[in-house]
Amino acid sequence: MVGSSLVTTVVSVLAGGAVAAVSVVGLVSSQTSPPAKSPVDVTAPVAIDYGSNT
Amino acid sequence: MATHPHAGARSRTLLPDLWVVLLSVLLLGPVLSPGFVLTYDMVWVPDLALTRDALGVGSALPRAVPSDAVVAVLDEVVPGALLQKVVLLGCLLGAGTGVARLARPSVVVRLVTASVYLWNPFVVERLTMGHWPVLVGYAVAPWVVLALRSWRRDGRLPLRLLWLLPLGSLSASTGVVLAVLAVVLALVLRVRRAAYVVVVVVLANAPWLASGLLHVGVATSDAGGAAQFALHDEGAVPGPLAALTLGGIWNAEVVPDARTGALGWLALVVLVGLAALGVAGLRRHLGGRAAAGLAACAVLGWAVAVLSWAAPGAVGWLAATVPGGGLVRDTTRLLALTAPVLALLVGEGAGRLVQVLPRPARPGAGVVVALLPIALLPGVAWGAGGRLVPTDYPPDHAVAREAVRDAVASRQDGDAVLLPFSSYRQPAWNGDRKVLDPTGRYLGIDVVADDALSVDGVELPGEDPRAARVGRALEEADPRGRAIALREEGVGLVVVERGAGAAPVVTGRVVHHGPELQVLALGPVTPAPPPRGWWAVMAVAWAAYVVVGLGGAVAGLVQTWRRRRARVDA
Repeated sequence: MVGSSLVTTVVSVLAGGAVAAVSVVGLVSSQTSPPAKSPVDVTAPVAIDYGSNT
Repeated sequence: MATHPHAGARSRTLLPDLWVVLLSVLLLGPVLSPGFVLTYDMVWVPDLALTRDALGVGSALPRAVPSDAVVAVLDEVVPGALLQKVVLLGCLLGAGTGVARLARPSVVVRLVTASVYLWNPFVVERLTMGHWPVLVGYAVAPWVVLALRSWRRDGRLPLRLLWLLPLGSLSASTGVVLAVLAVVLALVLRVRRAAYVVVVVVLANAPWLASGLLHVGVATSDAGGAAQFALHDEGAVPGPLAALTLGGIWNAEVVPDARTGALGWLALVVLVGLAALGVAGLRRHLGGRAAAGLAACAVLGWAVAVLSWAAPGAVGWLAATVPGGGLVRDTTRLLALTAPVLALLVGEGAGRLVQVLPRPARPGAGVVVALLPIALLPGVAWGAGGRLVPTDYPPDHAVAREAVRDAVASRQDGDAVLLPFSSYRQPAWNGDRKVLDPTGRYLGIDVVADDALSVDGVELPGEDPRAARVGRALEEADPRGRAIALREEGVGLVVVERGAGAAPVVTGRVVHHGPELQVLALGPVTPAPPPRGWWAVMAVAWAAYVVVGLGGAVAGLVQTWRRRRARVDA
């Protein structure tokens, strides 16, 4: 009984660590990655897309 | 050591509330720093004016009714930039704390419920799209459910419902969401005098309903737009499955990267799995009737979204045939009906999962499940992953506003037209981020704006007949001819946004020439006022809205004060 409780505690700590690590990595990478699109070309046509489906 | 009985109850509320504050600040991040966040449809200015469009008597469909008018009044007291932050932070705080109170009083259940309700694609994408009235309604929704449950319990109409519904109905689509939620729950819960709900719902939505009826002749939209604005797949995740976890918005530009990869599938499996585990628990906690009512709303929201994915032609026909049918064009807005149930089910499921673990493992497991929604949607923290950044308007805008005021004071009648004649901008001073042209709102005048849209290069015609006529006036062969045609349309001012692209030249007196804006006065015009009857109709609608909202708020405050006084006296 004590053994299984120890195992679940360790597993939950490991899982918690993994979840926290993924969250932190996601946050950091989102803040440090370059923009997905280049700045707008000033000579671009006036009609700006409201959005895109793809 | 003995624990005070109230200490546990307090921690069951306090801890989730603190968690909500943390998540809200983490999600908004730089949004809370000085400046205006201008993104897609989110346009805030220092001092919004009560224009005809804001009051619902302009020629355009009432897309910002009553939100613009409410902001125009409130920013007389609180500066626009600060008000925007208060509203956005308030949305998230209200949403998280509301849904947590709706959940079973267990710290883990409430933490997870709040995490799911706040940290999901719906919230992130609507923030990025600038649909703040949708988020206000989203925040109000759990509180409406709480109010209806208390009505069922006490048998008395909760006065807070009188101001919650007008507050949450700041746009047509969110008004519809709250109306469905309130009416369905009132009927299912069999509250006493349920007809009152219908009355309050109608009064809370009176401004946009009345204005919509006045515009009924032009209130149909292009059928082709339905396919563009329908529920969409997210990467390899089909739309209907993405919608189960509140994703599938039409605009791929605002979809977080994590939703289009393997994490999208993982989120689906984990969240739906936990939700399935929580069904029995939620039914026990809310009671069969409330659970059934909420589930019915959730299925309805999801089904409408899926309908647009499966049969965009049918939704297009509705938008093109039935006046106001365009309301449901952007169908994933209705997933606001699905969100409360998803969050509550996942919270219950997570609570059940943690409960089966040995006691020593539970705190760690509780932290894991509370963090799960964040781990499944990483990269959206700190202003939706860096997409929401405050900016300042160029100083030239303030100078131009004064020039426009001077021109109007020196009897330059008529409305304004912004050139280039198109709806969206990507100003360099806004970091090249797209935004609905904010110049008209900044200048504080009535503007004839182009309401045509371009999605993925597909042109979607607008509905405003006056905007179409102004567009044709600008196609006249020479600058003088354009000025004459514009004056005949009641346009007295032309504002050229330099750097926004090529614009047709119009002959007029230059009243301002700055680095960003040029303002031209066209001379005498015949203004085109709305029919007198429109003012009368809208006056009644606004009176109903204000009376029910403010009256409810004052009555609620008095009731709370009396109860507290009675408790002190006892």
